[in-house]
Amino acid sequence: MKEKIKLPRVAKGKKPKYLDDGSIDNLMAMIMTLTQEISVLRDRIDTLEYMLENKDIISNKDFDEFIPSDDLETTRKNRRHELLERVLLPIKKDLE
Amino acid sequence: MLMTKQKHSMQPRPTHDESVRQDFVTDMRAYLTDEIYSLITPHYEKNIEPDFYRSNDRKPKDKSEVKSLMLGDRGYQSWSLLQRLSQQMMFTSVIDTVERNLDQMIDNLDKHQEIGSLEIDESLDIPRYLTAYDIHQQPGGYHSESIESDISAGAVYDISLPIYSRNAMGEENDLLAQAIIRYIDENLQNFMPKDILDMGCGIGNSTLPFSKKFPDSKVFGVDVALPCLRYAHARANALGVEANFSQQNVERTTYDSDSFDLVTSTLLLHETSHDAVPKIINECFRLLKPGGWMIHLDVYPFHKKEDDPIYDFLKDWEVTNNNENFSGALRNMNMRKIIEDAGFSSETVEFTSAEAAAKYTKGYTGDFYLKLPVYLAQKPDHT
Repeated sequence: MKEKIKLPRVAKGKKPKYLDDGSIDNLMAMIMTLTQEISVLRDRIDTLEYMLENKDIISNKDFDEFIPSDDLETTRKNRRHELLERVLLPIKKDLE
Repeated sequence: MLMTKQKHSMQPRPTHDESVRQDFVTDMRAYLTDEIYSLITPHYEKNIEPDFYRSNDRKPKDKSEVKSLMLGDRGYQSWSLLQRLSQQMMFTSVIDTVERNLDQMIDNLDKHQEIGSLEIDESLDIPRYLTAYDIHQQPGGYHSESIESDISAGAVYDISLPIYSRNAMGEENDLLAQAIIRYIDENLQNFMPKDILDMGCGIGNSTLPFSKKFPDSKVFGVDVALPCLRYAHARANALGVEANFSQQNVERTTYDSDSFDLVTSTLLLHETSHDAVPKIINECFRLLKPGGWMIHLDVYPFHKKEDDPIYDFLKDWEVTNNNENFSGALRNMNMRKIIEDAGFSSETVEFTSAEAAAKYTKGYTGDFYLKLPVYLAQKPDHT
């Protein structure tokens, strides 16, 4: 079997520290990745809801071939904005 | 209208989750700009500057004084960290899709070779300014190869641009070249270049618009990064646009003197070095025919506001936070002198801005004009 390609995922270069000793930086990275995954799950659920309205059985392929309508894109965009608003509120407060 | 992320036949199709993961990064970047970055200057003016004034009886005098204040401010540092993270999340979310499809994409290269050309120089040294660190944090940079006939760096760049720009770059990622073309249309009347060179062409997104605009011309793109050039040639075929790509260092190319009517670059100079910039400008002069034009589109070298140190400080963000190490130094170089020393007619040297209509799509509404800095000059016509 052909060996699976692994592309690099970390950029070469200096890593600046932002908050505290760098451990908060890592925590922030973890929180934002979790936020991203919550957003992915929520989008997957509403794709499911859209599909269920018209179909009995849904396959994984249906998911990957699904293209959201402009209305759904806007709904998602607004929802992500609200999710970010909730997660990032403490930082906004620091700047006010 | 339904929009798919796959813009042409060389781009891989993301899965559902990859696609919405990328969308999250687009929206996160929009949020960071609109909702958080927008608070920084008011926060500085309302809180940080008055605090400094109270203890020093004057305002901070320059960007380095502002810097020491801002690096101690939790709000600024939080935005800065998030902005850096958004860049990393963008690349990670795109690399997932490219890595999963890479074998198939490389197999697909064969079907994308018919028009234009690709010239490879395997012996070419990649300049240190591209190998010492990965510019704007793209893992592996433009040049690294993980597999034979690798095109991943090019594909990652192509798919990342709409996320980076919140879809402002247009369907073919050609906004920057469109700005140059618009400038030519409005300011260089009757200029019909026959031979055109795009320096540091990367994936050719700023090369192909010239082939389309000037259909009777011959268009060339040079770059050192082979994974980007392979992708550029295949991408040009996918889009059905002819261009000739060649792996060369733009500091000294193999083309004959007096070969081109127009030499352009987009976002090239700030990714080079102090030594490279004058060499590139000299090479432009050598390559141009008498009467030919050089046009570079790059970042903020002449928008410096000495009386506004917070603006000046914020404009340097990419330097230390996004591996754009040279962009700060470029702003301080005397470009006019470098261009005039190369031999360009001093009365034609111009530092101005080119405009392009950025069309935000997918949930963002309206067009707006982005002003992009350009420097241009004409080689004297002695005929």
